[in-house]
Amino acid sequence: MLRWKRLAAVAAATALGLTGCSTAEGDPAARASPTLTLGVLVPATTFAAADSSWANESPYMQAVYDTLLKADPNGKIQPSLATEWSYNADNTVLTMKLRTDVKFSDGTAFNADAAVQNLQRFHAGNSSNKSFLADLKDAKAVDPSTVQITLTQSNPALLTYLTQNAGLQESPSAFAKPDLKTNPVGSGPYTLDASKTVVGTSYTFTKNPDYWDAGSVHYDNVVMNVYPNPTALLNAIKGGQVNAATTANNNDLKEIEGAGFTVNPLELNRAGLLLLDRGGKMNPALADVRVRRAINYAFDTEGLLQTLGQGYGTPTTQVFPKNSVAYDPSLDSAYAYDPAKAKKLLADAGYGSGLTLQMPSGTRLGATTFTLIQQQLKDVGITVTYTDTGNNYIADVLAPKFPVTYIPLQQDSDWQLINFQIAPSATWNPFHYQDPAVDALVAKVRDGSKAESDQAAKDLNKYMVDQAWFAPWYRQQLSFVTDSKTKVIVQQGNAYPYLWNFTPAS
Amino acid sequence: MLRFILRRLFSGVVLVFVISTIAYLLLYLGGGDIARSILGESATAATVAQKAHSLGLDRPVLEQYFGWLGHAVTGNLGSSWFTGQAVSAAVSARVGVTLSLVLGATLISAVVSIIIGVWAAARRGWIDRSVQLLSVVGVAVPGFLIALGLVTVFAINLKWFKPTGFVQFASSPSGWIATATLPILALAIGGIAGVTAQVRGSVIDALRQDYVRTLRSRGLPRNRVVFKHVLRNAGGPALAVLAVQFVGLLGGAVIVEQIFAIPGLGQVAVTATSQGDIPLVMGLVVVTAIIVVVVNLLIDLLQGWLNPKVRLA
Repeated sequence: MLRWKRLAAVAAATALGLTGCSTAEGDPAARASPTLTLGVLVPATTFAAADSSWANESPYMQAVYDTLLKADPNGKIQPSLATEWSYNADNTVLTMKLRTDVKFSDGTAFNADAAVQNLQRFHAGNSSNKSFLADLKDAKAVDPSTVQITLTQSNPALLTYLTQNAGLQESPSAFAKPDLKTNPVGSGPYTLDASKTVVGTSYTFTKNPDYWDAGSVHYDNVVMNVYPNPTALLNAIKGGQVNAATTANNNDLKEIEGAGFTVNPLELNRAGLLLLDRGGKMNPALADVRVRRAINYAFDTEGLLQTLGQGYGTPTTQVFPKNSVAYDPSLDSAYAYDPAKAKKLLADAGYGSGLTLQMPSGTRLGATTFTLIQQQLKDVGITVTYTDTGNNYIADVLAPKFPVTYIPLQQDSDWQLINFQIAPSATWNPFHYQDPAVDALVAKVRDGSKAESDQAAKDLNKYMVDQAWFAPWYRQQLSFVTDSKTKVIVQQGNAYPYLWNFTPAS
Repeated sequence: MLRFILRRLFSGVVLVFVISTIAYLLLYLGGGDIARSILGESATAATVAQKAHSLGLDRPVLEQYFGWLGHAVTGNLGSSWFTGQAVSAAVSARVGVTLSLVLGATLISAVVSIIIGVWAAARRGWIDRSVQLLSVVGVAVPGFLIALGLVTVFAINLKWFKPTGFVQFASSPSGWIATATLPILALAIGGIAGVTAQVRGSVIDALRQDYVRTLRSRGLPRNRVVFKHVLRNAGGPALAVLAVQFVGLLGGAVIVEQIFAIPGLGQVAVTATSQGDIPLVMGLVVVTAIIVVVVNLLIDLLQGWLNPKVRLA
């Protein structure tokens, strides 16, 4: 009898322990010090600033590093480690005045020498955004608090790049450390707590007590948990284990809202086709603008948005985003769904009896997408033949092995977008297609005055749509979710909100 | 006995070598542009080529393999291509997590299935039929469904346990119970079903043996006959099933760790394999193969202790 009583007491104590545990850990407000727990989709590829990534990895970097400049939620440039900056007459020399009261977490002082070394290391490094500093000719310390950056040609996006990984500042005394990739030494608002971190799964950051911009730090600790599996993320949200998270897709939004979370939308990516072989090197038909326009008319973008994007987004036929100076609302419907018109254009171009397009397919982008592309193009007389590229989708597209491809791409700021998808040397212009009209407009965007540059961007956007370089479908909503205790302002042009824009709701 | 152990250890070394060689070649055949995969769609072709060179991916496959092997035999498994973490650190941080789940599930499977299996074999009738039916159901229901059901009921609705994450026992026993119970149960349920059927069958066979009749005729109590004599004889086949199940549970942990977001070997294996993180995958393959070899050796030794007939000289 006594034994049963003991067992009952142990069971009760365990139950109480579990209940206590779930209250203390599940409810952030119940904790002694405020902790922000974030759900992220990817682990930090590296903490080495020179090789770092941005976008979904930006919160890791922003926790431990400062950047030379900051961007506000709309992308407007703000001071950070650099307090003032100015260009020379032709925008090829940037002079920046730096703060003198900043120290890295290892005690090393931040100065112009450190900034120069970081810029040079990023230029020579292995970051996926290495091209951000491709125009860097020289960087030198004029004095301990002044750095001068010389470019081979003007770069309208340089200041933006310096708010991202190209502007990250790492302690020079850490450059030679063997554990640089996993043990960051920066001057940022937090330091990585290695003892509470499981690399690839969960990262814990502790407030830097000596941070120079204490007003921008809203939490004592930040925990970033990686949820590559949407089911696990959904369970963590329902179980109150995260305060905020980015979602892999919009499939579970209703359930997430049902769990008391708020959806903070951002139209980040653009879904649709890239008509890459505009010169007709691989498929001569694509050199004819009527064929490219026909492809645009063939897609029921509203229907695709409902079917593939669950209705979260906005149909469009332009590649420049809504916050761009180039954006023109009328271009969102330049090619309204019109299969008859598509057939006529194909017939006029000499393809009335049919046309075949080779395209890549990959299961990671969703089998339904490829089926719908095939169906809608078939309706206007275009036969799509797919090649399953397995894990090589992007590599094969950029090789280039296909004249046309489906892929959702991020809508960057204008100059970034031009260099990413439009310029002859752009990564996503793998056939290096060149059009003198486009080159002239791009040059004007780069070298013109503000008014000239803005007008050139508008003209470029209109020309892109008219010439049907792409076949966009819709701007896809990225949904960042927050619980009732957390507020956030999403960051235009970035997959993850910037860390200082998370605040406690109360 | 020592010769037997040495022989098994030697064959284990050969096995690990063969498995690692096949795994390395399969990873290359499955291939993909790993440098592109690491850098993403925004990197230029030149940056991708630079990355491939820095990782040594532009060298012949065999040269890369022997380079890896040369370091591996000295205990240096390299660093993850994606996170930069030393493979030995990445694996050692996770192996304890997965083993605690798998060992917990194996232990629960063994204890529960012995109790239920012996009970069914000794009592027969409707109890036996019910146990057989439940065993079939338990084996048939996929592990991920059990895991999802447990999370929904006990973590999200009742809030008794944590839906995701893992707390080490050493840092918080109550935290460990809150995070490990459901994953262990999810792994154990299928195991209990499989081992119970084996224990039941073995005990029924043993109960039919002449020595049991002799013992009973000498007036030994039923429980003593069953637990001291029958169970020891029936234990051999059950142990063999448990050994197979332990290896199976290592595979099952892959799914369970994904659902519960547990930082174990299974979770990292899925991520590393889909990314083509060859050093990390190879580290996982080697460690998993060693675990399987060691577990099988221990089971062999246990079999010998249980049953003198299979004791090896």
